Amino acid sequence: MLRKPITPQKPRVSQYGVDPKYVTKRVAEYPEITSVMLSDLFPDTPKVIYPSEKGIAAVREAAEKALENIDMSMIKPGDSVNVCASHHGFTLLGGEPYAELLRTVRDVIARKTGTDNIRLRAGVGLRFRETEEYIKAFKLDEHYKGKARGVAPVDEGIPIETEIGTLYGIKAIYDADWIVHVHNSDVREVHFHRQVDRAVKPFGMSYARIETRSTYHQNLGPRGANFTARSIFASEFVQSKFAFTAFLDMSPVGVVGVDADNDLYALNDRLTVAGCKYYGKIMTLLGQIDECIAALDFPCPVPYVFAAGVIYANFVGANVDLFDLEGDLPPYTWYTEAFYGKDGKPLIEGVPPVNPAIKMCVQNYGWGGYPSAFFSEHIPTIVVGREQAEVMNRDPQNIEYMSHAVIADNLDTAMAFAYKTTKTDKVIIFDGAAGGINVSESLAKFLIEKAPYVNKLVDEELLPKWLCQRGVDPEVLKNFK
Amino acid sequence: MKLITLVAKVDKEKCTGCKTCAKVCPTVAIEIVDRKAVINEELCRGCGNCNQRCPVYAVTMEKLEKPYKVSVAVEDVPYEKIDELCKKALLNPEQIICYCTATRAEEVAAAVLKGAKSPEELSQLTGVRTGCKVECIQPMLRLLEAHGVTPVPPEGGYQWYGRTPTIWDIPEEVKKKYSSRGFYFDEDIKLLNKVKDTRKEEK
Repeated sequence: MLRKPITPQKPRVSQYGVDPKYVTKRVAEYPEITSVMLSDLFPDTPKVIYPSEKGIAAVREAAEKALENIDMSMIKPGDSVNVCASHHGFTLLGGEPYAELLRTVRDVIARKTGTDNIRLRAGVGLRFRETEEYIKAFKLDEHYKGKARGVAPVDEGIPIETEIGTLYGIKAIYDADWIVHVHNSDVREVHFHRQVDRAVKPFGMSYARIETRSTYHQNLGPRGANFTARSIFASEFVQSKFAFTAFLDMSPVGVVGVDADNDLYALNDRLTVAGCKYYGKIMTLLGQIDECIAALDFPCPVPYVFAAGVIYANFVGANVDLFDLEGDLPPYTWYTEAFYGKDGKPLIEGVPPVNPAIKMCVQNYGWGGYPSAFFSEHIPTIVVGREQAEVMNRDPQNIEYMSHAVIADNLDTAMAFAYKTTKTDKVIIFDGAAGGINVSESLAKFLIEKAPYVNKLVDEELLPKWLCQRGVDPEVLKNFK
Repeated sequence: MKLITLVAKVDKEKCTGCKTCAKVCPTVAIEIVDRKAVINEELCRGCGNCNQRCPVYAVTMEKLEKPYKVSVAVEDVPYEKIDELCKKALLNPEQIICYCTATRAEEVAAAVLKGAKSPEELSQLTGVRTGCKVECIQPMLRLLEAHGVTPVPPEGGYQWYGRTPTIWDIPEEVKKKYSSRGFYFDEDIKLLNKVKDTRKEEK
C-alpha cells in the first residue's frame, strides 16, 4: 500500500505568500516520505472525474449534464445575472476544476436563456484581493467578457431583512436581476459551520458584509453561527433573485461530479450526507494519530493548507469529533480562541485543548491573510526562511504570529530540529496531494492499521448519529451512491 | 492593543481621487484633497484596507521605522464599571473580541467608559478592527450600545452599517422551526451565558 510521494500542489504567485522562488524544497522530497491512497484506506472511497485521464474536459461535461435539467426560464434575454463565486473553490486541486465550472455555468446560461449580461462576482475570505488574483490567473475576465470582479466584505453593502433582524450583504453580489450560486462541497471549515447548512454558508460569509460575518463569529455561538447564512438565503430579498445553484461535488480524493439544483436546500441535504460520510472518515482517522510533526506546504493561509482533503485547522481540532453536535466547542474556532484568558488558560471549564498529537509544526510554505497567532501560540512552530517570517510580520492580521514561532534558515534544519525535539518520526504533510496523503513511512503504517477500525466506527456508529443530529434520516444511506 | 508596524502611502500619480480608500478606512484617516487621497499618518493604524481596495493600486503599505503601540489602559477605569459594561453587552471582560490584535473586551470597554463614541474612535485608540477589519465590529457596537451610545456611521462611508442580532435575540418560533436542522440555539446560549458570567477568581 505504500507508494512514492504524490506531487504536492505548486506554490502560487500571490501577495499573501512568499515568492515561489523561496520555496526551494518540498517536505515530500525526503526519502522517509511515502504516500497512502485513500482508496487503500477506505474501500468505499468514491470514484473521481478529476483528476482523471479525461482531464478538465470531464468537469465541463459533468457541469453541462447537471445544468441540462435546471430550470432557467425565469432568466429572460437581456436580464442581468450575477454568477456568485468564492475564493475557496480556487484552492481545490490547483483551482482549474472550479474555474472550468464557472466558465461552463456562464456558457450554459447564455445558451439556454439568450442573455449576455452575465457577470462574475467572486467573494473572498480575509484576503480582499485573492479572487482578483484567481480571476487573472484563470483568465476568467476574458471568459466573462470583461465582467468579472472580486468583491470584499468592506465594499458597499445593502441591508437584508431576515427572520432574525437586519443583516447586511455586499451590494455588488445582488446588483443583478438574478443570482446563481456556484460553490463546492468540500467541507473545509467544519469547526465553524459544523456541516450544518454547508451549501448555504457563502450567503453569510463570502457574499456578506463585515456586520454579518461578525454576527457569525461573535454573536451566535459555535453551533448557531451558520444560521446567519440560512437567515440571509431565506430572506424574501435573496429568494426573489435566486435562480439556481451549481456545485463542484468534492470528496477528499478529488472531484466526484457536478451537482446543480433550483432548490439549494435539496442540494444541501445531499452534500450533508456525502460530507459526513467521506470527510468524516478521514477526519476520524486523522484524529487517531497519537503523535506527529505537521508540515505545512501549500499555497494558502496557515489554517487552510490541505492533507487528504482536510485542512490544518481541522487537524488542530481532530482530537475532538467536530461532526458531533453534542460537543459545543471545537479545540479551534474563533469562539474557542476568544475564551482563553490573559493567563493563557480557558475562561471556563470544558474547553478542549488543541490536538495534543501535534508535537511540532514546520511551516515550509503557508500564507498570511488570516489571523493565525492562535496556532503558533498553542503549537510549537518553526517557520522556514526569513522571507516567510517577514510575510507574517508584515501582515496586519498576524502581528503576533512570529512572537510565538521560531525561524529556521532552511527546511533541512527545521526538520532536523523537529525530529530531534519531538522524538517522533511520524510526519503528516499538508501539501494538497491529490487522491491520498503524503506521510512518513511510520505514519503510513499507523494509518493503514487504524483504517479498518475507523471505517467500521464511522459507518456503524458515528455517521448515523451525525445525520440524525442534522435532521437527516440515516435510511438515506441505503440508497446513497 | 496593537503594535502599529505599517503606514499607508499614496502614489499621487496613480490616485484618481475616487474616494474608495476613504470609504473603507476604519480609522477615518483619509481625506480627499484636490482629488487626491491624503493619509493622516497619526490616525493610520496600518490595516491595509485602502491598499486592498484601491482600484488603481495607488496605495502601498510601508514599514514604520519606529513601530508604536496603541492601547487604552484598563487600570485607568474602575474594574467594576468595566465588568458591568461587559456584562450588559453579554461579554466576558477577559474574552478576546479582536482575533488579529488579541484585544480583549475589557480594553474596549475601558475606551468606551473613557468617552469613545464610535467604532472609528475605538479603532484609533485600541487598534481593534485594524487587522482583518471584519470580525470584531459587532462586539464593538454592542459595548457602545450597552453604554447608551448610538454611533452614526461615517457619512457616505462603508465602514459599518449597524448592529445585528445576537443569539439571545432569536425569536422562539424561529428557534423551534430550525432546531431539528442541527442549530443548537439554546445550548449555545447556555454556553455563552457561562462565559459571560464566569470570572477567573470564581473558578
